[in-house]
Amino acid sequence: MKIIILSFVVFLPFSIFAQQSADSTLFQKRALETTELSILTSFYTQDGKNAAVTGGIGSEQLDDYATNISVSIPVKQNGVLSIDGTVSAYTSASSSNLNPWSSASNGDDDDNNPWSSASNGDDDDDDDNYGTGINTGTPWAASSGASLQDVWINFNPGYSHYSNDRNTIYSGNLSISNEYDYFSLGGGVGLVKLFNKKNTELGIKGNVYLDNWRPEYPTEIKTYIENNLDLNSSFFQGIDILDQSGNVIDKLSSDVWKASQNNLIDNNNRNTFSVTLSLSQIISKSTQISLFSDLVYQTGWLANPMQRVYFADKDNFYIGNASSIPIYTDESNKDVFQLADDIERLPNNRWKIPIGFRLNQYFNEYIVLRTYYRYYFDDWGIQSHTIDVEFAIKIGRKFTIYPNYRFYTQTEADYFAPYETHLSTDEFYTSDFDLSKYNTNQLGLGVKYTDIFTKSHIWEFGLKSLTLDYNYYSRTTGLKAHIISFGADFVID
Amino acid sequence: MKKRINYIVLILLIIMSLNSCATVKPYEKMNINDPDMKLADRKSKKFHTACQVYREGASGGNGGKTGGGCGCN
Repeated sequence: MKIIILSFVVFLPFSIFAQQSADSTLFQKRALETTELSILTSFYTQDGKNAAVTGGIGSEQLDDYATNISVSIPVKQNGVLSIDGTVSAYTSASSSNLNPWSSASNGDDDDNNPWSSASNGDDDDDDDNYGTGINTGTPWAASSGASLQDVWINFNPGYSHYSNDRNTIYSGNLSISNEYDYFSLGGGVGLVKLFNKKNTELGIKGNVYLDNWRPEYPTEIKTYIENNLDLNSSFFQGIDILDQSGNVIDKLSSDVWKASQNNLIDNNNRNTFSVTLSLSQIISKSTQISLFSDLVYQTGWLANPMQRVYFADKDNFYIGNASSIPIYTDESNKDVFQLADDIERLPNNRWKIPIGFRLNQYFNEYIVLRTYYRYYFDDWGIQSHTIDVEFAIKIGRKFTIYPNYRFYTQTEADYFAPYETHLSTDEFYTSDFDLSKYNTNQLGLGVKYTDIFTKSHIWEFGLKSLTLDYNYYSRTTGLKAHIISFGADFVID
Repeated sequence: MKKRINYIVLILLIIMSLNSCATVKPYEKMNINDPDMKLADRKSKKFHTACQVYREGASGGNGGKTGGGCGCN
């Protein structure tokens, strides 16, 4: 029964070919008349108290600067070549705490340990503490190590070919991305068919991403496993480890800190396969809708090896100032850090199905309503609803403002639990609050300036439009974010 | 999960079978062709959508990333 229904869904669209009437066009416009250039730059900042790298507590402070340049070039009559590149540079308190401790206290040469001063920010203190073996770190502030910042680069070339009657569009693209702990190579192909005098549009697209981790781990976990569980070598040499009461433990005894599992990532691959179906329909002279759905399958190492997990049924051990242990989960903790029980571990496959719907309504020459709804579910237990409403309000001939509101709600993943809640007997676990239960509210405003006749020029580039967008994002977990984007579109004469 | 998929397939079937054959002629599409009527996110919100993908458990279904390209959800 299921095979019959699925077959009908796949083949029904092609039966619509019979309704297509021939377009007779005497004049053939190019698929793209002139080369277009778009530049978009943004600044994003967030903060919260549930950092995943530090096990679900700690600073989520992060700043990101990103710039995207996109060029679309006409190729003969029917082709469009697009080249898209993005550079995104971020600093993150959370990821800096892969190693939240200072290297000075254990005498390591900086060349051997890339992570330098901890959050006390005072090298002199670290040198003074060398003899006592005290290291300090905290989940509530950034350390200054190499993992504090990173750059993500993406390059995305693509090509689209239009049929002579413009009712068929074939497309293909490549995607290459790189950051310090992750490499991605992807590609996709797509087909779009237009029917009913271009009133109906049906699309199908397939994408594949063959990605690899270059895994980075929390310092204590990595050192422990790579040094054969020895608490007296490498990073741990000369370092006092404290128990919950603040007493220094005997590292040679049986009652010591241990990582819950003695293995790191066993498969660096992370692959994604997706199929997207879309249907757009003009309902009336002023209304059009679209329906789209993805079927996404991911396989490989789907957890993030940077992210710590703490178990409720395991004793707690720390490095730092014993007097701060009672206030460990409070932001006033400046100088003690709890050793992780394990890194996040999640299933090695995941199915995701989002289904989205758009409806745009042209009210009059001044106001357009743009709406969006998405239902999402996956086999990790997450279900979500997204509602987005935006107005395009034209002010004069050149300016448009876009007030918008977005609401999002999701259930938590089956494998999520907050700090110190998971059990060591669980097979899969994460304390990443991005997978927890929450609602979000997002308010925004955009402004667009349109130069209809591209009178303004920068060298050979005629200015088509300028945009400025701001959004405020608030999550019921306490995460708050701001993002502002500035964009410029040009046509090349 | 399987019951949910069957339900969604059925809804898709119903919607596709109700696909209107009414046509708006090219010269009547002045309002439809307004740039703000485009059935996609505005280009200038590319990074806004990306940040939502990074911070939320859901992705896809909106022209943004469906998965891959980063170690995020």
